[in-house]
Amino acid sequence: MNTDTWLYAGLIAGALSILTAVFSYIRVLRYDSGSDRARQIAGWIRDGASTYLKLLYKTLIVVAIILGVILAIVFSGVEKQNHGLLTAGAFAFGALCSALAGWLGMKVAVEANVRTAVACNKGVASGFEVAFKAGSVMGLAMVGVAVFGMSLLFLLWHDVEIILGFSFGASSLALLAKAGGGIYTKTADIAADLVGKVEVGIPEDDPRNPAVIADNVGDNVGDVAGMGADIFDSYVAAAVASMLLGASFYASKMIGFQYVLLPLALCILGILSTFIGLPFVKVGKDGKPGRALNFSTVFSCVIFAILATAFFGVVNFFAKGDVSVGLNWGALIATVSGLLIGVIIGFTTDYFTNDEHSPVRNVAEISGSGTGLTIITGFSYGLISIAPAMAGIVAATLTSYFTAAAFGLPGIYGIGVAAVGMLSLTGIVVSNDAYGPIVDNAKGIAEMSGMPHEVVDCADTLDSAGNTAKAITKGFSISAAALTVLAMFAAYTESISAYSGTPLILNMQDPLVLSGVLLGCIIPALFSALLMLAVTKNAFTMIGEIRRQFKAEPGILAGTVLPDYTTCVAIASSGALRALAFPAALAVICPLLVGFILGPGALGGFLGGAIFTGVVFALLMSNAGGLWDNAKKYVEAGNFGGSGSEAHKAAVVGDTVGDPFKDTAGPSLNTLITVMSLVASLFAPLIARFHLF
Amino acid sequence: MDKHMYLSLMPEALIMSQLSPEEFGAYYSVGPELKTQGQAVFFEIDPSFRDPFFPIDRSLSLCIPHSSGKPKRSVYCAVYRVVEHIPVSALGKLYLVTKDGRTLGIDRAPSVPEDAGGLHLYHEIAPLHPLVVSSLGPKAFHSFFMGDSKKNIDVPALCWVECKLGELATSPEFGDVRDLPYENIDHLRSCLIQLKTKNVMTKIVDRLNPTSFAYRTIQNGIFYGSGKELAMFPLPSIEELKKDHYQWWRSANM
Repeated sequence: MNTDTWLYAGLIAGALSILTAVFSYIRVLRYDSGSDRARQIAGWIRDGASTYLKLLYKTLIVVAIILGVILAIVFSGVEKQNHGLLTAGAFAFGALCSALAGWLGMKVAVEANVRTAVACNKGVASGFEVAFKAGSVMGLAMVGVAVFGMSLLFLLWHDVEIILGFSFGASSLALLAKAGGGIYTKTADIAADLVGKVEVGIPEDDPRNPAVIADNVGDNVGDVAGMGADIFDSYVAAAVASMLLGASFYASKMIGFQYVLLPLALCILGILSTFIGLPFVKVGKDGKPGRALNFSTVFSCVIFAILATAFFGVVNFFAKGDVSVGLNWGALIATVSGLLIGVIIGFTTDYFTNDEHSPVRNVAEISGSGTGLTIITGFSYGLISIAPAMAGIVAATLTSYFTAAAFGLPGIYGIGVAAVGMLSLTGIVVSNDAYGPIVDNAKGIAEMSGMPHEVVDCADTLDSAGNTAKAITKGFSISAAALTVLAMFAAYTESISAYSGTPLILNMQDPLVLSGVLLGCIIPALFSALLMLAVTKNAFTMIGEIRRQFKAEPGILAGTVLPDYTTCVAIASSGALRALAFPAALAVICPLLVGFILGPGALGGFLGGAIFTGVVFALLMSNAGGLWDNAKKYVEAGNFGGSGSEAHKAAVVGDTVGDPFKDTAGPSLNTLITVMSLVASLFAPLIARFHLF
Repeated sequence: MDKHMYLSLMPEALIMSQLSPEEFGAYYSVGPELKTQGQAVFFEIDPSFRDPFFPIDRSLSLCIPHSSGKPKRSVYCAVYRVVEHIPVSALGKLYLVTKDGRTLGIDRAPSVPEDAGGLHLYHEIAPLHPLVVSSLGPKAFHSFFMGDSKKNIDVPALCWVECKLGELATSPEFGDVRDLPYENIDHLRSCLIQLKTKNVMTKIVDRLNPTSFAYRTIQNGIFYGSGKELAMFPLPSIEELKKDHYQWWRSANM
């Protein structure tokens, strides 16, 4: 089978996925959008989201132009013809693709929220159908754009390093989208809660709260555009890292060319398994949407494993024993092991963040004894939650490495395809993830537009399932990012070795490497702190604005005058993007400074330090934050005193602390370590030759 | 503009106002420009009610619109020892106002239901507001404290709410707390146990109890006793509240 066939298949699969997403989008628009009041509220959310996206994309254009010019100039010195221009072009194309997927996801989310609320009039199954169909638009668009983009670039230039530029473009946007979205959503959420709920005593999603629209917009920009861009970047980076490794080993004649494109073929199979899996995702007679979401993940996982096995079988059948075109079964085992462990890690996250298990219940119970114990206990469980996820990553690393090696493939290539296997479910995982903010908004719109309480209860049931899906997605995306950057790290060392002519060996007794490790450890901590400080600073400004509005216009609280929602939206938007500049610069500039000054060994150590501490921080913050959030919800559900009790007051504080943990800093760290690894790999040819030490 | 007479229970005060009960509730709980804030509970008083203890007519004469034409929001007629001078017959609707100004009006029950068994938790609203547990049902509790001047303690008037005890009402030792939001629940348990083990019918749980209470903890309603008279103002069921007063219930359920 000609490997170009795989590229054409990639173009077709990608285009089909995008078309299906567009078709689903149109179908979502056909659902009833409800009363004038519901449409008016949805319109405010839609306008707020558009305002933010416009600002984000304006910022992105500036960043893309600056980085593109730098890439074009710097890489014009590389021997390959037009390498600088092509890398810059691929970078811009990657950023554009990521933006396109995020834009489409946001577009459908802000249309689907009101339609989901209206559909809840007919029950949980109807509401779920609309929300999940809308979520699948994001999932399908994302994998479609990624596979189409990578296939097109490879078909045109047959150079993986050009696709590296594409990946860097996607990751740069992801960093801005995830971190910016995270700052935005928590600024609005915290400010709305602290003034609205705590000070004034108005409930969640109350239209009298001037920050309520910003809060609902935040759900979209943080969890749809942000999380989507984050997974998009891991997805592309995993494929590119494996392709780079494949190209490197192919150049040294260790493996055949088919292994360069195998990651892309696995992505295509992932799209197919998503196509097959999506129609089966329905709420059963038990009326539990959480089960339907979990079923979608497991079912797509099984389909992918079957398709991958069949694909290997067909390729090997036509290869008739020719190893230069056949596929090694070791690669399949590595892929499936990555897939399985990804799902397992996702569900271990669920253990620490779901109120059906002891960690959340213990934190809820101990909250009755004060805030201090809530924080200590939640933080401790967050620390414990690192262990199973890390054990899973280790298991995936070792299994894929040694399986690949045992079957005669380079072990490190096995790790690369394991990461691709883990991310092969991206389509379905992103669909589940985007479902969350849609139903969250739907609940808010149902409340604000005065729909009957049965409708609100129905939306609440959908929302609870969305929270669990969100937690699983985070565990999954962090683990996938960890495995991806391990592959990217290997690609970096291979690249340095190839360009410098001597193998790069990272020796911890080398003071330069050790210094690099220590410097790398600083970055995730510094990055997290900067993002969380941005949240508190912006929230402080917004709190002032909310208080001002309540005092200036008593009619707001009386419900006779509408608050000024746009000012809070503007504060959240501009504050988020302004605060991004320094953390984003850290991700790009620090690896370059370390590489060009301290050398490739130090940069290797730097990446190692950043990756390991980054994964630890990401798991800790995401899981502890999710745990505190659900402990509060568990108390509010009528346990350990319920709303208004001492336990509730302490749990609310825990949740407030956990908010920027789980939705701002924690998930942004994935993107940070991916961007830093990509910068290192991209600039490896230059760093290999030009460095001070 | 109509003139209304309101008996505030938090704190005790007789107030004249040109605001309707809903407007007064929002104003009284939130205050202009959000300067003061908190739960409010008040009765509307029969406009024909007069008692020599209160300068009602003089206060009503002061209750006139502002020069801008805006209605007069409040003229305080009396503070302190107000409840003891307002008989049950003067009470109109009871209004429960949330911290964010949502007001629910509830009517007086035609009769006070017979006492149920088990232990009871009473949050006194006015004139003072201690938290009390008792083995006496509301009717017996009223009889125990009011209308018999020969007793050691005779309270002239009292407004209180019976709060939920859940499983603790029948099993203070082992009952599950679930959604009971009370502070120092172990002390509450021990007080309830003492009602069963010692020869006492009432016991103060907290003499420095806060004035406000969570509406969601109301067991059945609010009671107003004055002399030998007792009235009950039953809170609608949660289903009714969700169906007919959803916005109030959401705020009350915070």
